[in-house]
Amino acid sequence: MSLQEYKPMQERCSNCSFCKWIPFDKVRSARFAENCPAVCYGGWNTYSARGRFQMALAVVNGELEYTETMTDIVHTCLACGSCDVACKICRYNLEPLAHNIELKNDAVRAGKILPAQEKMLEAFKTEKTLIPGMRKADRSAWAEGIPFAEEGEVLYYPGCKYSYDPALRGAVRGAAELLIRAGVQLRYLGEGDVCCAGRLYQMGFFEPFEKRAGFNIKQFKAAGIKTIVTPCSDCYHAFKRLYPKQGLDIEVLHVVEYIDRLLSEGKLKFTKTVPLTVTYHDPCHLGRQGEPYVPWEGKEKKILNQIHTWEPRRPRYNGAYGIYDAPRRIIEAIPGVKLVEMERIREYSWCCGAGGGCSETNPEFSRWTASERVTEANSTGAQALVTACPWCKANFEGCPDENGNTIEVIDIIDLVNRAL
Amino acid sequence: MALDKEIYKALEAIVGERNISSDPGVCETYRCAAAQSSAHYGPYDHRTPMPQAVVMPGSTEEVQGIIRICNKYKLKYKASTTFWSAHGYIGSDFAIQLDMRRMKKIEIDRDNMIAVVEPYAIAATVQAEAMKYGLTCNIPGVGCSSSILANTAGWGGPGPSSVFTGNASENFLCAEWVLPTGEVLVTGSAGAGAGWFSGEGPGPGQRAILRGARGTTGEMGVCTKISLKLSPWPGPRYIPSEGLPPAYRAKLPENFKAYAICFPDWDRWAQAMMALCDAEIVYAAHRQFSMFGRDIKAAMLRILTDPDKQLCDIPALNMDPEIQAANESLKIEMYVVLAGMTPADMAWKEQALNEILEKYGGWKDKMCLEPDMAEWLLMYFTRLGHKNLNYALCGSYEGHFGLNSGNLIKSASVCEEAFALKREWEQKDNFMAAIGGDSSMGGLSSIGGGGGPMLWEFFCHFDAHDKASIDKVRDYFNGVSAVWQAQMGFGGDFSKNCEAGRKESGYAYSQEEHNEIFSRAPQPEPFIFQWKIREAFNPNHLGDSYYQTLDPKYLEKRA
Repeated sequence: MSLQEYKPMQERCSNCSFCKWIPFDKVRSARFAENCPAVCYGGWNTYSARGRFQMALAVVNGELEYTETMTDIVHTCLACGSCDVACKICRYNLEPLAHNIELKNDAVRAGKILPAQEKMLEAFKTEKTLIPGMRKADRSAWAEGIPFAEEGEVLYYPGCKYSYDPALRGAVRGAAELLIRAGVQLRYLGEGDVCCAGRLYQMGFFEPFEKRAGFNIKQFKAAGIKTIVTPCSDCYHAFKRLYPKQGLDIEVLHVVEYIDRLLSEGKLKFTKTVPLTVTYHDPCHLGRQGEPYVPWEGKEKKILNQIHTWEPRRPRYNGAYGIYDAPRRIIEAIPGVKLVEMERIREYSWCCGAGGGCSETNPEFSRWTASERVTEANSTGAQALVTACPWCKANFEGCPDENGNTIEVIDIIDLVNRAL
Repeated sequence: MALDKEIYKALEAIVGERNISSDPGVCETYRCAAAQSSAHYGPYDHRTPMPQAVVMPGSTEEVQGIIRICNKYKLKYKASTTFWSAHGYIGSDFAIQLDMRRMKKIEIDRDNMIAVVEPYAIAATVQAEAMKYGLTCNIPGVGCSSSILANTAGWGGPGPSSVFTGNASENFLCAEWVLPTGEVLVTGSAGAGAGWFSGEGPGPGQRAILRGARGTTGEMGVCTKISLKLSPWPGPRYIPSEGLPPAYRAKLPENFKAYAICFPDWDRWAQAMMALCDAEIVYAAHRQFSMFGRDIKAAMLRILTDPDKQLCDIPALNMDPEIQAANESLKIEMYVVLAGMTPADMAWKEQALNEILEKYGGWKDKMCLEPDMAEWLLMYFTRLGHKNLNYALCGSYEGHFGLNSGNLIKSASVCEEAFALKREWEQKDNFMAAIGGDSSMGGLSSIGGGGGPMLWEFFCHFDAHDKASIDKVRDYFNGVSAVWQAQMGFGGDFSKNCEAGRKESGYAYSQEEHNEIFSRAPQPEPFIFQWKIREAFNPNHLGDSYYQTLDPKYLEKRA
């Protein structure tokens, strides 16, 4: 779709500002009631999904041209999708998240991008990663010594963050070793392992995303892969939700789903007690955006004169069926671990701040967003914050809350390994 | 006209670089689309004027500074918070918008059962904080997403629970009021430094001047803090909400019950509503889901309580005999919530409700007694967090020829005639949703009683993207309002609710235009009174025309 094709939604957005808050039915305090980091940080209505609808409408109508401020605001969106969930509590015919990303794409096509994005694109082009400063030659260093299979249908896909961040090495290796120990014939693409480009899509760079997706899909098919297992929530979302539209037709699992499956089948048993009170952070791309892709092509159809529906029935992504329970079942199965929940969880979770490439493009905003979450985590009394995404972990790591206190941040894979 | 650099710099010096913008993209998002129903003066296919700049003050002192600058340069301003309604947007070209989102403190005084709140404290957050102390607040009909200060000090404020909590005007206590000149007046007991518990002293009792019937409407300075009365909440410290989106359900204890109560005819319905008011048994009462229309309300209840259903399921659902039976059962209905303070109180309330039902031949709707549905209803009415459902069908709606006569018996006696008229218009053209004529919504009452608000917001769903739909709906309103208001004496027409506040163009009226309008009012005196207040408090007229005034000299001249 083009931005022009979103005009009906831009005009039908009812300006209620529900997109700025978690679903009201879930509000337990004023402190943790807001949902959109961008509007909380930037302040102007413009940052909200509603503001983006209105700004985009003026762009589509030719009444506005992108200014420097507008360009910055357009790209200061974590693509976390919290607005989308909140909007769809009542609305059945608006797609705020898809529109936010389409607006980014429109700005990109108009040449309105941020300096940090240029560096990311350069790294993507030359080193096949969106993390500037990393080298393709070093990408597989983490895998040294792991007995990956030469043959097999299950592919382990670590993603850029796990591949390059030395602080995450234990988790990325731990997950692979755990799956291999459980009897999975696990493969790794080695030289062929490159960025999934999901973040490019989140930033509105559709064309390079599609090219990369096409390349990766060809690789997977050629290697006979039937299942992808990834510990990265961003990659999971790319494969689960974005790649199918580009032709990928294989099973996609996050590591937590695989571990949960092994636990339920009795193939994995915890043997050690981990005396720890933890809280769990739902990664946006595993949780509310982790719902499976449903192919659809159709058009709007009005019934009863003016009621908007879609023909055929259109899939409705509102976060209801994201991956929330698998990580919680794993945490609660570990002897000694006590799970205490934050106020904003599951489909209405607060973002870690790394989404949409913002940890690169607007690190101050990204850090502030993480700090807000650490404040919420610390308010539970938990000793540690557990998550299932390397981007979330890295963003929380060492980040002080509003009182200057940090919290131990544990990758769920590391927590599992502590109990084995 | 671009805002003069000197003015911009002066404002920037007050709020800081980060909290002021004149970027066209930013300012564009502070315009109200008049095709949206919240405009309540159209609908029209245009937006309200573009502000010269948007400013986000962070304190009372900063608000004072901004207002003084505005007075110096005769620059108009309007403060707003949650921006749903056209009321909150500027109405002139040489004007700035104040976005009050940085001021959102909430203090709960448990002992005095009051909340002291800043402008960006919305009803949901105030209620959530109050519940921690066993208290709750009135959530106005606009829903919990809106500023409770704006509702309390600036405009109307009745809601489904007003019959228990009182509506906004009944709960308003003290205010920290930045006058239109930039001075600060603290009213009520807070003005005497005695705390925020009383609106009428010790200290200056200015509620009548500050608020009156309709509030400051953005014309009379800026309220930066108010106190309001809270009510007892006999439930847990937060609403335990379960289920998949959007079908969240409240798992409240046994002392909470939600029912759809139904009656065989409008006369007995009206008698029962008055009996409900007299009995003082309900926590909330609202004829709510009728807004979807008589023909599809049961289908909509099924859709809203099932995460897998969508609007495209309406036709199939309507073929289901169970839905058809529910539509028939729910034809003449009211949704009520009972909240018992003790088990005995709950038993008494249940018994009283049953007796009222028996006396007037009423029943509890079967579908709404299903546990999941009843819990969803409890969630809906205790938090009022789904008000955007108003727009769910078509993207926009407007309320038309409200049957608000102040006399429920009179309204009830003609409502079927009104419904038939709407159904006729639904059938003869495609510009609004054809949902069965009756789409009339309204709350039971406030503590003050009266029952007037019921049947007052008569939903007409249309498409803000379809220009013909907008235009024809406006023509329809103009046509039917003329008959039902002018000839039959009904009022409270939502489509005309802001007609005297903002011109068709989206701009504010001039004083000359207001003189012309209000000199024709049956009782022009209140507008003259407001003119006097404005002259005393707001000599530079830096607000807009939602504050409705009539210059007495105009009347003298005309005489």
